[in-house]
Amino acid sequence: MNRAAAPRALSGLRVLDLSGAPGQYCGKLFADLGADVILIEPPGGSPVRREAPFIADREDPEAGIPFAYLNTNKRSLCLDLERGKDRRVFKSLAARADLVIETQRPGVMAKLGLGWEALADRRPSLVYTSITPFGQTGPCAHWEADDLVLLALGGLLSLGGYAGGEPVAVYGQQAYAAGSLFAAVASMAAVLGAEAGGRGDFIDVSIQEAVVMALENAAQFYDLEKVVRGRTGGRQSVAGSGQFPCKDGFVYTLGRGISSPQFWVSTVRWLNEEGVEGAAELQEPRWLERDFIASEVAKARFAELFVRFSMLHTKEELYRAAKARRIPLAPVCAPSDVLASPQLRYREFFVPVWNDFAKRAITMPGAPYRLQETPWRIDRPAPGVDQHRSEILEELAAPSRPEP
Amino acid sequence: MSRLPLSGVRVTDFSWIGAGAYMTKLLADLGADVIKIESSAKLDALRVSPPFKDRVKGVNRSGYFSDRNTSKRSMTVNVKNEQGLSLVKRLVAISDIVANNFAPGIMDKLGLGYEQLKAINPRIIHIGMSMHGAAGPEADSIGYGLTIGAVSGLQFLCGLPGREPVGSGTNYPDHVPNPCHGAFAVLAALRHQRRTGIGQNIDMAQTEPMIALLAPAMIDCAVNTRDAPQAGNRAPGRAPRGVFRCAGEDHWIAISIGDDAQWRSLCEEVGLAGREQWASAAGRLADQDAIEEALAPLVARRDTFELMEALQARGVPAGVMQTAADVMERDPQLAHRSHWRKLPHPEMGDAVHNAQPFKFSRVSVGPLSAAPCLGQHTEEICRSLLGLSTEEIAGLVQAGVLT
Repeated sequence: MNRAAAPRALSGLRVLDLSGAPGQYCGKLFADLGADVILIEPPGGSPVRREAPFIADREDPEAGIPFAYLNTNKRSLCLDLERGKDRRVFKSLAARADLVIETQRPGVMAKLGLGWEALADRRPSLVYTSITPFGQTGPCAHWEADDLVLLALGGLLSLGGYAGGEPVAVYGQQAYAAGSLFAAVASMAAVLGAEAGGRGDFIDVSIQEAVVMALENAAQFYDLEKVVRGRTGGRQSVAGSGQFPCKDGFVYTLGRGISSPQFWVSTVRWLNEEGVEGAAELQEPRWLERDFIASEVAKARFAELFVRFSMLHTKEELYRAAKARRIPLAPVCAPSDVLASPQLRYREFFVPVWNDFAKRAITMPGAPYRLQETPWRIDRPAPGVDQHRSEILEELAAPSRPEP
Repeated sequence: MSRLPLSGVRVTDFSWIGAGAYMTKLLADLGADVIKIESSAKLDALRVSPPFKDRVKGVNRSGYFSDRNTSKRSMTVNVKNEQGLSLVKRLVAISDIVANNFAPGIMDKLGLGYEQLKAINPRIIHIGMSMHGAAGPEADSIGYGLTIGAVSGLQFLCGLPGREPVGSGTNYPDHVPNPCHGAFAVLAALRHQRRTGIGQNIDMAQTEPMIALLAPAMIDCAVNTRDAPQAGNRAPGRAPRGVFRCAGEDHWIAISIGDDAQWRSLCEEVGLAGREQWASAAGRLADQDAIEEALAPLVARRDTFELMEALQARGVPAGVMQTAADVMERDPQLAHRSHWRKLPHPEMGDAVHNAQPFKFSRVSVGPLSAAPCLGQHTEEICRSLLGLSTEEIAGLVQAGVLT
């Protein structure tokens, strides 16, 4: 199929994205599947433009890498929502929009007369999604928070980091990512509902709650067994599963799998067939007992045996050998390893996207999913500040725009 | 109650364990009829994964499983049996979506690959969520959240400078990146199906959404040819930004200063006489080691919750490192949002489940019910959706087809 001519899953959908850092990935998900997403920026441009890292380390808003990634396929219009004239422009845009995404503090948009109720009066099918740190109401709704504070209050920080030491945040503003992602799913479902039944909705997303969704089984462990999970940082969860050093870095192995002993049996056979000194004892029945394998003694002994072997090999060698035995062991990859991955190359995962500052195409992560009939696609790079003002205002002046 | 946004959408769901089951949970909580196809011979591994009610192992007693499978129905059927397979195909014919997170090729082997599904129902949307995608040199590798974290760069990027990488401490890709990306893709395809009548195949490699969420590090590496060092809790543009020990056993507080006013308020609250150059953001960014060292003893004598309240009262971004016990029993904001839902369950009593992190104004989205017991809805589905009689159902149970 000619990709450039393929239909888009979200064509005809109009989205107004007023977000800052916590919501721009949500808008990107819509834009990259074909929705017309207008990034409404404050005068001077989105603060995300000034976020590091920068191309060639040039601290220039045109060179910001996060902005260039989060805003592909979007158009830009600067509006000063404190001014009546710009508010009128926004209301006209909202009167023909399907979805508004915003990340202002609770109440700010309503005070400007731009809350869901005001806009839905003119456009009953409008879905309006607010992404805030703690949600619209409640005792902490007005608290100050950034990504790190939300990882802390959402509980994920308590699971990350070195055992007994400082908790360490997960990399990459994952609290904001989680807020954006759950917002995108809820918004998409609401848009489908509105398209089927005619009525939109207001969606109140709490980033703190989105982080809580990442606690794995920690909440259930507390609820059912009154066990509070902590940080295991690099240590084994149970003897046989964890991160171990090797010749050129680290590998992560799930020698215990999830519930069946198959990976453990294969791991024990592997170490014995490699002639690792002392590995024979791993065949003793106590290595299958839940309480024993959770003990520090068992973890220390397993690590001692495994590292004897792993330090003689590279992460690639260990991965290949484990794969042949169907053991889920993975190399701990740096970004440079990821960029060089033959699998990702085969899938053409990374894509070139033109960048005005670099004056060349730069490499970005591409399609996170492959929709065969309606492919993910980047048609244009992130916009310049206010780049599409005249065409957007012209479209507004036209009586109505035909469906593409 | 009003119709939920996905009311009327039906999913024949082969997904299991982590990411797949959590993806279809999103659809189920939003109103879709998600039919979990199960087999007592090859159980969803989470059914037998701890924690268990009263620490007693049983297929209907795992809290982990129950939280991942709310609002769904369960049908046990042996798809390796010809009659079983034909029943499942009849479900496919009246479904919008078929989901799985098996290794590539498994569905084809069962006779349920995309081309086979499409022949039954051209409107069907099929999503396969394998580790590395449907094809390619590593497509046959097996993986789980933690190994996906390792190969995607997540594990490597989390940690303190000069120390070994620590990752997120969880199977993070299973809980947020993959379920949400998968659900979004399926819903976008559903829009296309409704507008055109055309279904489609979706191939989602579970490594790729995770890498997408690490984009700044990937692009930085590609354009600036470097692997950025682990930054711990620091971030460009904010200083100090860190996690500090408070009084008591393993109590910590995250503090993140975004401007000069917040810095002055922090100094007043903890009684820090800062150096002159720390008054500006640039000065603070250049001297983070010394600032953290000066702050540490002043914070260490404070109670973590009391300090958080005091700092928030002054407009300083600060948050306690809450444990699972804190978020469940102590957090007033999560309580205000009714995040923790006790849902009745025949074997587990009132077990606690996560609500979704979004609220709709017009409707109340799920979780609507606790996870189904193994095969709980087999008979109901056979009768109401497949039109089988009581005798026919009994015969199929006898023959081992519905187990």
